[in-house]
Amino acid sequence: MPTASVEVRHLTKRFGSVTAVDDLSFTVEAGRVTGFLGPNGAGKTTTLRMLLGLITPTSGQALVNGVSYPSLIEPVRAVGAVLESSGFHPGRSARSHLRIIATATGVETSRVDEVLDLVGLTKDAQRRVGGYSMGMRQRLELARALLGEPAVLVLDEPANGLDPQGIAWLRSLLRYLASAGMLVFISSHLLAEAAQTVDEVVILNHGRLAAQGRLSELLAEAGATIRLRSTEPERLVASLSARGIGARREGADQVVAESTTPERVGAVVAEDRIVILEMTSSGESLEDLFFSMTAGGALPARELAQT
Amino acid sequence: MIRLMKAEALKLVTIRSTYALLLMTAIGTAGIGVAVALAPHNHGIQRLLFPPRGTPAWYDLVFSALALAEDFALVLGVIIMTGEFRHKTATPTFLAEPRRGRVVAAKLIVSLGAGVVVMAAAAFAALVLGLCFVAAGYGGVGEMAGRLGQALPGYLVATVLFGTYGIGLGAILKNQVLALVVGLGLTAVVEPIIVAAWPTVGRWFPSEAARSLETGSSLSRSGFGGGLSHLLPSWEGALVLIAYALALSIVGSMTTLRTDIT
Repeated sequence: MPTASVEVRHLTKRFGSVTAVDDLSFTVEAGRVTGFLGPNGAGKTTTLRMLLGLITPTSGQALVNGVSYPSLIEPVRAVGAVLESSGFHPGRSARSHLRIIATATGVETSRVDEVLDLVGLTKDAQRRVGGYSMGMRQRLELARALLGEPAVLVLDEPANGLDPQGIAWLRSLLRYLASAGMLVFISSHLLAEAAQTVDEVVILNHGRLAAQGRLSELLAEAGATIRLRSTEPERLVASLSARGIGARREGADQVVAESTTPERVGAVVAEDRIVILEMTSSGESLEDLFFSMTAGGALPARELAQT
Repeated sequence: MIRLMKAEALKLVTIRSTYALLLMTAIGTAGIGVAVALAPHNHGIQRLLFPPRGTPAWYDLVFSALALAEDFALVLGVIIMTGEFRHKTATPTFLAEPRRGRVVAAKLIVSLGAGVVVMAAAAFAALVLGLCFVAAGYGGVGEMAGRLGQALPGYLVATVLFGTYGIGLGAILKNQVLALVVGLGLTAVVEPIIVAAWPTVGRWFPSEAARSLETGSSLSRSGFGGGLSHLLPSWEGALVLIAYALALSIVGSMTTLRTDIT
């Protein structure tokens, strides 16, 4: 079996005058969990739905295993998808819901009980979905996604509605599936959660690619924030700025240098013979990275105050 | 395709509203049958128009209640199609089968079977009602059953085809409430007006095409209820209904059903 892949090429989607996705290109590889991050309205859900053949792109291509979703011979066996606003008939039991999909796709009925067990819904399988909590519905969605034992798993905000145990369970499940060779592509706005789950990120802003790569590498590239205390804070800021390191005063004797490394700051300090009283380094978090990548996605506080 | 049809059938049997609809069909058919049978007809002009109780012509009139099954089949057809959008099951359905036209085709075929079941519910109610009337002394079992047997095939074909017409309406309108209002509104309000004004135009409309199939009963042919000489021949009526179902389904598949599922 060829390795699973997800590839988006020059994908564009316009809804009337609004461009939801704008010439987006990226690839996602198997064997790892890739996070699809971006502010609300960045175009994540639209992109995922184009990938799954539910939305027709204005131009460009969204390919799974090299072909468009509708061209897959048995799509449910190739791709499992958990989508927001995917529905259930409230009067139908979870088991019936899955049996219908299994029947439509030729998946054995025994698999229905397997996936129900996998997501922990066996006990409630005969209950009507109308009485399910949001977390249970989310588990049922996941069960449906896993029905065809796909090699590609696409999840749109899968943690929605899950309680902390549920989120932890989901994280370990996704990590396990990725380690077993699956391609796991997961959109999320919960950055702290995503940071613990994903190996790679695709960051989207205003429908465009803002960044892509290994999370650890992106974080290293983004550098760290260095806090210093000095007897000459003014001269320190000038020295750092002169060498292209963003720095500013904070408080009486503190200086904060951003997106740099302790090595670079240390070299500057030694060269210019500035007395340092204290120096601490804190690595960028995914949240910092996200905000720096998606700046302009939201109005700065100053502008908000004026409106 | 077989898988999709099985899945569509499974969708119907796994929700309670299907059974509720069948029950309503049976109760409604019996109710209308009783109302027709017991209509006052002992005085004035009604005495001339209304056949005496227990006669074959009277049973034809009672069993005209079977026409209710057509409306219920229409409702069921609309629900089969638009329920996907109402409950947002269109997403899992089209994930399982991205070629949406095939899903519509499966629904059309399954709606034929659903129409048969709806008709069976109505026919059962009509039979029970007929037996009650026989027990009450109106005519013999043989006569009653004979009239029912003669009426059934026409109503069955009309009901089955009305189900597919409902699928077509649902495919083109997508919105459940809208499709029900349009479907039942046309049948109950708009078409009768058009038929009254221009019978030769009206006969090409769905419910008049269905009426052409109901005329297994001698009563209808005799012109009771406003004259039916304008109706198409039965086979033409059936073809007209098939054309409506297919045209609406195909146009719906190429237009509304192609739109983005968000």
